[in-house]
Amino acid sequence: MNSAYIGKLMELAERDERVIHLLADSGTGYDEMFRRNFPDRIYNFGIAEENMVAAAAGMAAAGKIPFVFTAGAFLAYRSMEFIRDDVCFQNLNVKIVGMGSGLSWSSLGPTHHTTEDIAVLRSIPNLMILSPATPKQVAECVEKAYEHNGPVYIRIGMNHEREFYDGDTAETTEPDVLFDGKDAVIYVTGSILEEVYECCEKLKSQGIGVKLVNVTTLKPFDERFFLKDAASFDTVITVEEHNIHGGLAGILAEIAVFNKAGVKIVPIGIEDSFAAGYGDIKGVRKANGLDADSIYEKIRKAIGR
Amino acid sequence: MINKSDEEELKSLRKRIFITGYKGGMAHLASCFSCLEMLYALYIKGILKIDPTDPKQKDRDRFILSKGHGGLALYAVLERAGLIEKDMLDSYLKENSLIGGEPCMRDCEWVEATTGSLGHGLSMGLGIAMALKLDKSPAYVYVMLGDGELEEGTVWEAVMAAHSFGLDNLIAILDCNKIQKMDSVANTIREPHWVEKFESFGWAVYETSGHDIDAFTKCVHRVKENASGPSLIIADTVKGKGVSVMENNPNWHFKLPGKRDLKVFMEELGITEEELA
Repeated sequence: MNSAYIGKLMELAERDERVIHLLADSGTGYDEMFRRNFPDRIYNFGIAEENMVAAAAGMAAAGKIPFVFTAGAFLAYRSMEFIRDDVCFQNLNVKIVGMGSGLSWSSLGPTHHTTEDIAVLRSIPNLMILSPATPKQVAECVEKAYEHNGPVYIRIGMNHEREFYDGDTAETTEPDVLFDGKDAVIYVTGSILEEVYECCEKLKSQGIGVKLVNVTTLKPFDERFFLKDAASFDTVITVEEHNIHGGLAGILAEIAVFNKAGVKIVPIGIEDSFAAGYGDIKGVRKANGLDADSIYEKIRKAIGR
Repeated sequence: MINKSDEEELKSLRKRIFITGYKGGMAHLASCFSCLEMLYALYIKGILKIDPTDPKQKDRDRFILSKGHGGLALYAVLERAGLIEKDMLDSYLKENSLIGGEPCMRDCEWVEATTGSLGHGLSMGLGIAMALKLDKSPAYVYVMLGDGELEEGTVWEAVMAAHSFGLDNLIAILDCNKIQKMDSVANTIREPHWVEKFESFGWAVYETSGHDIDAFTKCVHRVKENASGPSLIIADTVKGKGVSVMENNPNWHFKLPGKRDLKVFMEELGITEEELA
């Protein structure tokens, strides 16, 4: 996912000299490729995320398009006021890229988990929120962020996510149907797609037809798309590597209630707790009931089959 | 040194700020009065290179009031400089007001950074200074900070970064009135030793009076002549300058005078009953 991000960012930097790459001691080998190509457009602010975000606001006010990149937790939580006051209130053209969405930083524990970022950030006006699930979607989201003149937050996983999309570009920043079925509909966002995809294959092989919708643009949300499903299905299941409060389930619940859509929503995610366990992403997902097998059981229970 | 006409202008500005704040129902008067001479020197005595007809001119100097609670002083000076309309200032805190107590980019095109939460302005100024450098612009970025504000951690993140990025186009001005909301700065964080702190972070530090327009202006010129990295001007000021009961008194951080003190304000600023009605 990192490689997809930097690859796209370099393409944009080539195209537009206003594009600037900002780091908070958060670079990887990929960033060195950017440095080689654009040595005067990459800045390391050191371990100082708030200053980086506010400085990005200043750069945008002076006509640049800064992309700030570091661990999502240090952006969404630590730098929240700077995102709110300096970037979003002024509606400035800053792109905030949080790496390690959900449980990605599985070996480091909840200080690094980015499992409340959607809830925290989606309450801030003017901020577009993108949550890609695969490397191709990362590239697509970076392009979409660049084309949008205003603040954007992109949450990116970092565990060698599987690709589900063909072709040069994944035209998938709109809700995208990966499986079709009539028994239930599942909404998913971000890297956890790979676990849910596995579940859907298994359900399909057992004759249970579920519709799987992968949502990349969390804000602004395509309400009409969801309301059609809310009218066609009795149960909507959401799966996210995020607290079940305030994230994807929260978004759908708000839309359903605001529109009097009588649909049951079954949220699968982190159940209002700090995630348990350490180790690789597979193990930590399992420890929190978010591996393919656990999700499969929860889905079967939800649809009563 | 302040010549007579400047002195009269400043008194009249203090009067304008007080009456506007009084009619609005609240103001950070003491903070406004502590930085007023410097804002006057910047906008009215020509330190800032700006085109009055184009607030977005590319190579304009930028000024950021990071201690946003001095916002009413900034708006009053912008009005005196002919950059904003009288109606805008008159609307302060009234129904359908066009401006509030902190400088806001949404409200006024001459405001370069929205401030109010402390510890943001220097970082935003830093970003602007970096962008100007990329564009090879001759413009300077001035950021005014309060000394109480320096207790905010992000200020020091910006101080380190400005040195690291070698920003000789960034000039911070410390409105050093030595008082914060509840107490003196020294009673809150002990003797702050700003000169040593900033010098040890690689900044060039200058000291001057924040109420002597000539001395302050000369100091800015000296900074610009010598800058090889970021510079700090420590401007010695009196919080509440110009009204005896308010000077150097922490009680006046965010309040208006009651009946007894009001007389002192009116007398010392030359305000009549009619002007307050």
